[in-house]
Amino acid sequence: MIRFLVIIVSVLLFYMEPIFGLFSPIELNGDFYVLVPRFLIMYLIFVSIYYDRKRAMLYALFFGLLYDVFFIDIIGLYSFIYPLMCLVASFVVKFVHQHLIVATILTLILVAVVESLLFLFYTFIGIKTMSFTNFYQYNLIPTMIANLVFLLMFGWAFKYILLNRFNQKALLLQK
Amino acid sequence: MPQFFSNKRLILLLVGMIFLVALISFSLRDRNHASLPEQLIKDVVGFGQTVFSKPTQYVTGIFNNVESLLNTYDENKRLKARLEDYASLQAEVNDLQLENKELRSIVDKEENLRAFNPIQSTVIARNPDQWEEKIIIDKGEIHGVEPNMAVMTSKGLIGKVILTTPYTSTVELLSTQNPNYRVSAVIAAEEEVFGLIEGFDEKRKELIMKRIDSDFEVKKGQKVTTSGLGGIFPKGILIGEVTEVTTDDYGLTQLAYIKPAASFSILDHVIISKRSITSVDGSDGDNTEKDLTEGAGDGS
Repeated sequence: MIRFLVIIVSVLLFYMEPIFGLFSPIELNGDFYVLVPRFLIMYLIFVSIYYDRKRAMLYALFFGLLYDVFFIDIIGLYSFIYPLMCLVASFVVKFVHQHLIVATILTLILVAVVESLLFLFYTFIGIKTMSFTNFYQYNLIPTMIANLVFLLMFGWAFKYILLNRFNQKALLLQK
Repeated sequence: MPQFFSNKRLILLLVGMIFLVALISFSLRDRNHASLPEQLIKDVVGFGQTVFSKPTQYVTGIFNNVESLLNTYDENKRLKARLEDYASLQAEVNDLQLENKELRSIVDKEENLRAFNPIQSTVIARNPDQWEEKIIIDKGEIHGVEPNMAVMTSKGLIGKVILTTPYTSTVELLSTQNPNYRVSAVIAAEEEVFGLIEGFDEKRKELIMKRIDSDFEVKKGQKVTTSGLGGIFPKGILIGEVTEVTTDDYGLTQLAYIKPAASFSILDHVIISKRSITSVDGSDGDNTEKDLTEGAGDGS
């Protein structure tokens, strides 16, 4: 059961993202704040921290490709950034303690990196013209806050599922 | 310290980078046509997305219903006041419609730019990264949706179809920054004033209508509708209201800011308008203008 839970959760999060995307942008005092749900990549970063780097990168490649084809019609953008983030996460986690708070902070930083990379990319190809201050104020900060809320709510559950799966696998290997 | 880049990994990374750049440039070149595998993925993912978005819409529907229930009293008072106006207006509209029909039959002109067949559809996803203003809807080629068709809500125009697969289509909203996105529009004053909706002002959250002849006087508060002369859109879909008129950068034509009638933020049900009259390979957006360049030379 728990064996399939890892992939089921990622499929679920993949489909939840655009649904939460429907609620954005949010208007507050005449300003529009863009909240980008990044549930899937946060979960995949957790997978690479607590469970298995290779598997995380594989999932990241697969879902990144789906994301590229279904939403943005530029193939190779997310399918590159997602695995890269998993790789970086698994590299960094070798030097730090695997505590939940550390993982949360690391994940948030990587989400900010994803957003900034996308900002650079879209500015480079000229689809969106936006100054960095605007991006920082109306996109990055609200996105970070929204995703932090999500992580605080579900981070422990992710850790629980993944560590269980990790231990299960370790037990199997011992036998 | 473990080495982050072993030789093998470095080569892999470089090859990956080259592959990535090639893929991106390949898919950037032709974004408005989906190849067969792309269509397949889009349809499969789209099906899953429909399964997930239907219950969500049910839940948000309940919240909206509760909200409107709370406003019922105020709304009822306001609507009652307008009911009498409405009855007389309705009579007038009926009269005019009848007259229009009669006159049309007299001059033998049956076709009408305004007529369209609506295709009702549900929004199943909004591009979650929101760098581009796109939504995905649950009707596709099978249901008769074609690229460049106008998409609207009950309040007004919101965008146009840019890409179709058999079961889904992608809609680019009017609030896009895409410089190739144009809608030919008309300001309904005493006489019709033509112009093109080109671009969106991020700060003001208003559309920019350019190339308005400076001989005409455009006033604040006038309504803007589609002109139907772009070749694909039907005529008379409300776009918005003029909020400010200035001259453009070169001082040759006028430029108007238009507050869109429809809201782009929360969208659930949209209508795709399939124009009844033959659509030409026209000039709404990035077109080929085949009719104009390869036609008989008489503009047909």
